Amino acid sequence: LWETVTSSFASFIHGVQPEHLSKIVRHRSKRMILDSIGVGLVGSTTHVFDIALQYCRLYSSVAVSSVYGKPGIKLSPTLAAFTNGVATHSMDFDDTWHPATHPSGAILPALLAASQMLPPSTKPNGMDFLLAFNVGLEVQGRLMHFSTEAHNIPKRFHPPSVVGTMGSAAATAKLLSLSTAQCAHALGIAASLAGAPMANAATQAKPLHIGNATRLGFEAALLAARGMEANPLILDDIPGCSGFSVFYSVYQPKPLSTPSDHHEFLLEKQDIAFKRFPAHLGMHWVVDAALSVRNLFIHYAGSFSPSLIRTIVLKIPVSKYINRPFPSSEHEARHSFQFNACTALLDGEVGLSSFTESSIHRQELRELLDKVVVEHPEDNVANFDKMYGEVELLLHSGDVLTGKCDTFYGHWRKPLSKESLLKKFRSNASHVLPEEKIETIITMVDNLENLSDSSQLACSL
Amino acid sequence: NHLTDQVIQRSKRMILDTLGVGLLGTSTEVCHKVTQYSKIYSSDISSTIWGHPNFRLPPLYAAFVNGVAVHSMDFDDTWHPATHPSGAVLPAVIALSEASPQKKKISGLDLLLAFNVGIEVQGRLLRFSSEARNIPKRFHPPTVVGTMGSAAACAKLLALDRLKCKNTLAIAASYAGAPLANAATQTKPLHVGNAAKHGLEAACLASQGLQGNKQILDMESGIGAFYTDYNPQSLPTLQSYPWLLDQQDVAIKRFPAHLGTHWVADAASSVRRKLVESSDNLLPLDKIEKIILKVPEVKYVNRPSPTSEHEARHSFQFVACSALLNGSMSVQSFTSENVHQPALRELLCKTQLEHPPDNTPSFDSLYCEVSVTLQDGNTISDRCDTFYGHWRKPLKKEDLEKKFQSNASSVLPAEATEGIIETVYNLENVEDCSALSTFLSGRSARALSEKRHAQSNIVGFG
Repeated sequence: LWETVTSSFASFIHGVQPEHLSKIVRHRSKRMILDSIGVGLVGSTTHVFDIALQYCRLYSSVAVSSVYGKPGIKLSPTLAAFTNGVATHSMDFDDTWHPATHPSGAILPALLAASQMLPPSTKPNGMDFLLAFNVGLEVQGRLMHFSTEAHNIPKRFHPPSVVGTMGSAAATAKLLSLSTAQCAHALGIAASLAGAPMANAATQAKPLHIGNATRLGFEAALLAARGMEANPLILDDIPGCSGFSVFYSVYQPKPLSTPSDHHEFLLEKQDIAFKRFPAHLGMHWVVDAALSVRNLFIHYAGSFSPSLIRTIVLKIPVSKYINRPFPSSEHEARHSFQFNACTALLDGEVGLSSFTESSIHRQELRELLDKVVVEHPEDNVANFDKMYGEVELLLHSGDVLTGKCDTFYGHWRKPLSKESLLKKFRSNASHVLPEEKIETIITMVDNLENLSDSSQLACSL
Repeated sequence: NHLTDQVIQRSKRMILDTLGVGLLGTSTEVCHKVTQYSKIYSSDISSTIWGHPNFRLPPLYAAFVNGVAVHSMDFDDTWHPATHPSGAVLPAVIALSEASPQKKKISGLDLLLAFNVGIEVQGRLLRFSSEARNIPKRFHPPTVVGTMGSAAACAKLLALDRLKCKNTLAIAASYAGAPLANAATQTKPLHVGNAAKHGLEAACLASQGLQGNKQILDMESGIGAFYTDYNPQSLPTLQSYPWLLDQQDVAIKRFPAHLGTHWVADAASSVRRKLVESSDNLLPLDKIEKIILKVPEVKYVNRPSPTSEHEARHSFQFVACSALLNGSMSVQSFTSENVHQPALRELLCKTQLEHPPDNTPSFDSLYCEVSVTLQDGNTISDRCDTFYGHWRKPLKKEDLEKKFQSNASSVLPAEATEGIIETVYNLENVEDCSALSTFLSGRSARALSEKRHAQSNIVGFG
């Protein structure tokens, strides 16, 4: 049966059922849902979130959808998705996958908002919700496998704005039970809403990439539901007239197998990384390496004495947007190998408070940053599956201390334990929610498959 | 005072044409769908939906819906390098003018200046890449430069400071870019609607303090991401500012289809005349053996057998056969009945394309040659280098107005269409451009004079 790539995706989105989810996939995706909610809750305390919220409150008609951390406020569904998406990515604290993207923030806010939009008689249950979430993940993953370019840390388009929009369209199309044809059109419409350039990473506008991915993908599904039509070959290769391929220089699309065959979700083979502190994923390697060498140093010198250090050498992969010797804003600091390494050296940890104005501009930190030199070993590839971080302290005494990290704690090769994940969630959520609510959310997500009305999750935020 | 006379004149023509095209477009199916969709958003501040007296939408969605209307039939203006400049900007600035914070009065000159800022920015960005000179293949230009133009125009109208203007552009870049594959589908009009809407949104977010990358136009990973070669340049100083619209006019379409088909239509009409003359004033349809079109290679306009109105508007073959059959092209040429007309389908079967190497895919240099070979071996052909409406042969004032009237009268009463023509022609002297919006909504003259009466009673605002 000759099927186009696009129609295979539409068939998958439409046809996949809860029974197709394996245990591992259900388990991993629930962890992602919990982490994403926590990150969104703490993100609702940021300045960029405030701007987005204020803007969205101008449009308040069918205001049925909840906003992270704002129990008294409701927004119209796509704008709630936008605002919550911004919250999720506001501190760069959200999950990261391989090939590289931030998958959950692009789909969860839309699903939460959509669940509150549907009338009581057609409310999706927890299993429907979990399935739709996984559809959104799977579509993102499959699309990234269409290009070898996607395997490395991006340079042109910010992946969440490319595949995230498509994932959101797929996920919401699933939740809204669109027909196969409508699913295809949702993808087609979404493609025309995808794609933001990398240059806004490390700025306050970056969180909008996730906000817009989740919102615009949702809009695409809503338009498709109302009969809007797009190019039915949007994911296929169309010589001379680019479709989704426009975002890549090399593009080899493949059809998705129909769910009736044995379909293995990508999440089964490739887990996610959860961040331990709010900064770009690449920072996590150098921080673990820095903490390791810090311990050696304290052992050596009795205490952390920066005056003994002549040079700090960072061995990192080449990636311009995360190589910043002297960041001046929180957004730049979250995208700076140098900053994160030095903060870890100085404080023995990196956390939320490491990125405040006063922390960023500390004299002791600037002094350490002055000593940093960056090297790009050839074997250190800009790829989240292969990179490493190495921190070398060259002391005035002539001694050299080294710390190296191949796999940081939280990476898919060394996943966060359940306790660590819950600790992160509780810490994040406690910024804006009382304890009972926090525990309710934990229990609800843990039991998601058995929830009879998934909108309860959104209502509990 | 930086606007030159020629720029003022040309841009007013663009404004008039765009309004007419948009008004006509409000009756399309795609426009109905987006209007229904947008009703889920409402707010205290609202703006006019062209051709709809009885309901309004928040500015963002008014910009979206009206932008979709403008591009719904591919009837809107086209520039060189290629884009549809006005549709991305005008709906946004008009919507914004009705929603000005602090209820500040926006004059016609404010609107005209903001509009031109939006056009100029688009033109400048298009010149940063040699890829832009030809008919596009990857990204649909209105979604790249149109979003930026809308953002710039709205920032101007909001009188944002320099820093916020910079951030407006930075934020807008993150909304830019849609692939060409949705051309010739119902989604294409959304490209222009979204460009207008997202540019406006970027300006609003910047106005509230959101910041982006201040070197968004300089970096390859900024706007450069949309091009394979990218060489940005600073704008000239304001003194005697050399506007691009001064040096390069737009093309105004005479019928609602891709610009490339306008060369084909003129050549085909001319061949038809010759055929008819030589055959007792009858078109010898059944004697036609073969039709050859010599056109540039543009894959998304090469459709031998279109099945929808969207595809028909993007088909060299369809327009050639339709013009041969009917003598000229019009709005009616794209109805379902015409698209599926048996005589037309027969002609389509006999039609082939050829791509001479000297026929470059650029709106500045392409040509079309239509050759019809009859059964007796005779071949009648003609060539069109510059169609009427192209910037080298601009529409006369009467014909521009005729197009506007024909379009606008399908949804507005005569006093409104007259009112719009008058207001646009006199735009730089209009004190309060909200009159334009009122005409656009189609509200009755009585309601309008009541409003004028009420407005004149408000003392000292702004």
